[in-house]
Amino acid sequence: MITVENVLKEFQITKKESGLKGTIKSLFKKEITIKKAVNDISFQIEEGEIVGYIGANGAGKSTTIKMMTGILVPTSGKITVNGLVPYENRQKNAQQIGVVFGQRTQLWWNLPLSETYQLLKEIYNVSDEDYNRRMEFFNQILELEGFMNNTVRTLSLGQRMRADLAASLLHNPKILFLDEPTIGLDIVVKEKVLKAIKEINEEFQTTVILTTHDMSDIEELCDRMIIIDEGKKVYDGSIEKIKGRYGYMRRVEIDVKNSEGLNSINIEENFNLKEEDLISWIEENRLHVKFNRKKINISEIVAYVMSKLEVIDITIKETNIEEIIKRIYNKEEV
Amino acid sequence: MRLKRYLHLYKKFASQHLKSLMQSKVDFFLGLIGFFLMQAGGVAFLYLVFQQIPDLNGWTFNELLFIYGFAQLPRGLDHLIADMIWRVANPMIVNGDFDRYLVRPINPLFQVIATRFQVDAFGELIVGLGLVIMALFRMEVRLTLMYFILFPLLVVSGTVIYTSIKLFCASLAFWMKNSFPILHLVYSLSDYAKYPLGIYINPIRLILSFIIPFAFAAFIPASYLIGKESLLIGVGGTVVFAALSFSIAYRVWSKGISIYESAGS
Repeated sequence: MITVENVLKEFQITKKESGLKGTIKSLFKKEITIKKAVNDISFQIEEGEIVGYIGANGAGKSTTIKMMTGILVPTSGKITVNGLVPYENRQKNAQQIGVVFGQRTQLWWNLPLSETYQLLKEIYNVSDEDYNRRMEFFNQILELEGFMNNTVRTLSLGQRMRADLAASLLHNPKILFLDEPTIGLDIVVKEKVLKAIKEINEEFQTTVILTTHDMSDIEELCDRMIIIDEGKKVYDGSIEKIKGRYGYMRRVEIDVKNSEGLNSINIEENFNLKEEDLISWIEENRLHVKFNRKKINISEIVAYVMSKLEVIDITIKETNIEEIIKRIYNKEEV
Repeated sequence: MRLKRYLHLYKKFASQHLKSLMQSKVDFFLGLIGFFLMQAGGVAFLYLVFQQIPDLNGWTFNELLFIYGFAQLPRGLDHLIADMIWRVANPMIVNGDFDRYLVRPINPLFQVIATRFQVDAFGELIVGLGLVIMALFRMEVRLTLMYFILFPLLVVSGTVIYTSIKLFCASLAFWMKNSFPILHLVYSLSDYAKYPLGIYINPIRLILSFIIPFAFAAFIPASYLIGKESLLIGVGGTVVFAALSFSIAYRVWSKGISIYESAGS
């Protein structure tokens, strides 16, 4: 469905010194640096997949999405979306994709929402029959009735996002690009949006690519994720796999009755493992231990602590996906 | 087929835009009145000048009135239809709002233009038409069928020149991010084209004719229509410059889109 081959996108950044002096100086001599926003990325996405596209701020997510939607032209490399090159065949491509930019509405600011849909219906040449059927469906899953006649600018963020999602789907696109569709939404609206995306994917086999900062979105929706960092792809695969690969670190938090006694024990010395496999610290009168479950068993740790102190409570924490990604961003060895 | 669809879309866009304008009727009428007053001021100025000097560089008051009035028509039409191009110069490109026009299955320039229907422009159009009709009567010009064909053709060509110059300058924003100051500067040159070119020094004449060809959107076709310019230059020149300006401007615009950088989100 989508093929991205060795795509590179460079931006020229003109450095300008601050102040009037800098402005004058820049008239004569410009210092241009080239930033590789997307650096040699390749991947393929099949029909009907929901793929999470993850990266820190400035990692190149939006840039990639914008190239796939035809907004930006890659510096080199090639993209095809359902057989079309988006930046060469913009208008044709636009007919087969739907786009939501969470930060920016696609709707007409000064029009009532219903009129906005009327315009989109004309733009995408949707027949009355399809239009009515789809609107009914969106009403069901996104609950738009309540604000259908409100002017777009008066909509709350949650309403606007639902409205935007419906707008992007009005022409039943084969591919849906969602750039941070859940940003700033409360949990209830977020659930609604995620559910709607899932239903649309199941109902119409729509291929979905979404970027987000919220890992729970990914865990809920996607079978596959692509992680990019500083413009490079660092991971492409299932969530299960990344958990299996990086998720062998566990954390345990132990509460003891007499917290002063915590200073008397030394876990690292007792087990004599490398620091990356076992480390402990005290926080809020609680003992925290991070360990590699391939190297040491949790019962060994707990047994050791129990032999020294009176334990009240034990909490075991699995490394969540968010933590794994944080480690990838920080270039930590995982 | 394609044209029909675009016309249909334009109607839809314009009617929606009018609806949203009607939501603030006061704005709507104030805008109209404001432009009306501005135009009236321009005519009053001409009148005052002619009270002192009855003959300006060989042009009579009626002729000047016609040229002045004619000049308002392409300007007004461009203002009515393509006002949104100003927003391309700033801030549409620098803030990334231009993105939306690239993800819809219709021509981006058409979308930009269709987004706004600037009713303020009726001020210019009404004054312009009024002056032209008045001047024609006073000069007792004989109106032939040809006149009724060429007049609209010249107005439309002039409009295309206006829009193209705006489009060219606004497109520079793809490189400079904000081209509003340039557009503003260039656009203000159009004021010079509503008076006879002969009153200016040569460099200004050359610029207005061949580099920023506002003269072909006002003075030159208007002087043809009152029998003071040849068919070749008055009509041929105007049409050729319209076609040329648009093809250059549209190329720059397309090139600009291909290097569009959007904005971080």
